[in-house]
Amino acid sequence: MSASTGSEVSFTFNGAAYEGVPGQSIAAALMASGVRELRATRFHKEPRLVFCGIGVCFDCVVVVNGVANQRACLVEIAQNDEIVSSK
Amino acid sequence: MIAIIGAGPAGLAAAMTAAESNEQVVVIDSAPRPGGQYWRHLSKVEGYKSSRSAKYFSALQENEKIIYISGAQIWSAVHTENGITLNYLAAGIESSITAEKVILATGAHDRAIPFTGWERPGVMTPGAAQALLKGHNVIAGQRILITGTGPFLLPVAVGLAAAGADVAGIIEAHSPLRWLKSPLALLLNPQKSIELIYYLRKIAKYKLKVSFNRAVISFDGKSATIAKIDTELRIKKKESEIDCDVIAAGWGFTPDVTLGGILGCKQVVDRDGTVIFAVDGDQRSSVANIWIAGEATGIGGADLALIEGHIAALSAHGLTIPLRLRFARYRSQKFATALQVSYPVGNGWQGWIEQQSRICRCEEVSLGEICASVSELSANDARTSKLFTRAGMGMCQGRICSRNVSEIIASQTNCQVTEQERIGYSNRPIAAPISLGALADGIK
Repeated sequence: MSASTGSEVSFTFNGAAYEGVPGQSIAAALMASGVRELRATRFHKEPRLVFCGIGVCFDCVVVVNGVANQRACLVEIAQNDEIVSSK
Repeated sequence: MIAIIGAGPAGLAAAMTAAESNEQVVVIDSAPRPGGQYWRHLSKVEGYKSSRSAKYFSALQENEKIIYISGAQIWSAVHTENGITLNYLAAGIESSITAEKVILATGAHDRAIPFTGWERPGVMTPGAAQALLKGHNVIAGQRILITGTGPFLLPVAVGLAAAGADVAGIIEAHSPLRWLKSPLALLLNPQKSIELIYYLRKIAKYKLKVSFNRAVISFDGKSATIAKIDTELRIKKKESEIDCDVIAAGWGFTPDVTLGGILGCKQVVDRDGTVIFAVDGDQRSSVANIWIAGEATGIGGADLALIEGHIAALSAHGLTIPLRLRFARYRSQKFATALQVSYPVGNGWQGWIEQQSRICRCEEVSLGEICASVSELSANDARTSKLFTRAGMGMCQGRICSRNVSEIIASQTNCQVTEQERIGYSNRPIAAPISLGALADGIK
């Protein structure tokens, strides 16, 4: 699905390995690899992806290297990032 | 020192103009790269006049009088002895800066309206689809349906199609004939007609299907249900299903008024119910030494934002505003008014949603729960309903749902949302979530 070429940044999401392009957000890199669920909601366990895409709605929050509530649409991927879904 | 908050068109125009005098200029922006939501750094996506951002970006990077702080989320602002102190969080560290003068250019985000299935993965705002494409080179899905209302749907659809996306169509809620209500705005803005022709040619080139007077009223994850609607957005007739895995739905824009609100700048309710700042002809807010430019003074697009940014910076330096700029702003404002007349967002959407659909996405509060807070717990305003249901109390601080919750409560209680309530739900005492740890460890 990615319109660009060259995958240079390696990272993991919920333990699985992914690659992305430098400068891409976590959400963009995962969506380019076909991921359709960044987290499940607290109460009803509904899958959520990106909604506003610009850091307003907090729908896409993930845990990045142990730091919770990071907006996947804003935070750029870095080499060896360990990303897990928010609980 | 003059601090400019926001590096979108208004903030960048203000920065470039402000840097022409000897005062130190600081630009603080929440994004990692400049451009705001409209201009995305280094974007090669096809679009009308998409290259004019270059001179503003180079001023920001190269002009020695401009200090550019990116990736900084301002979470609070206070009036202090030496001016206005802005507290911000950047890379997890809390810092602050004090400026004698501030220009707020905080922009806006897409207004979202709920429909059955809008919480499913794949439903997003056109701004999200645009940001993924222009900012990150990613096409949001396999087959994308663009819906909602307003001219912003066109560049989003065309940009996606040009990048090779399968665009399932553009479903516009209103008829283009509504533009006939605003002949003066069209006459004063011939460049807008040229821009429209540009997009119509692209729509023809990419064979995009455009439907009017229609909306997406539900999504099951694989296909969208389209209905014919009236001008209040009430369903007239369910029509068809369109297969898609992404729906980009946008209903105009909501300005970010939080920081100005914290600093006490006077707000008013625009004719379409949007809360904006009251500014004078020199973009001065009601508070001394604070100017406001761009969407936060009324949704008007990038052209108007650029003009207002220039005017705000000239005024901040005590310089005369050229008549040419005042006239340019006047005609862009006429166009902005015409947009409100052509693309109104009525309350008919309340008839699209099922009882179990979420209205508050953060706290997962359904329409049924909000209605029950009125019928069973006697909530008679959104604030009371919020205390019962938690709608609007999640991490987005009510930015996505609070207007919709207020409209639902007003319908349930046969009232109109008051101006005081609109201003109330648009403001929040802390501008962004901050952890107590960051607050305690912060560098002051």
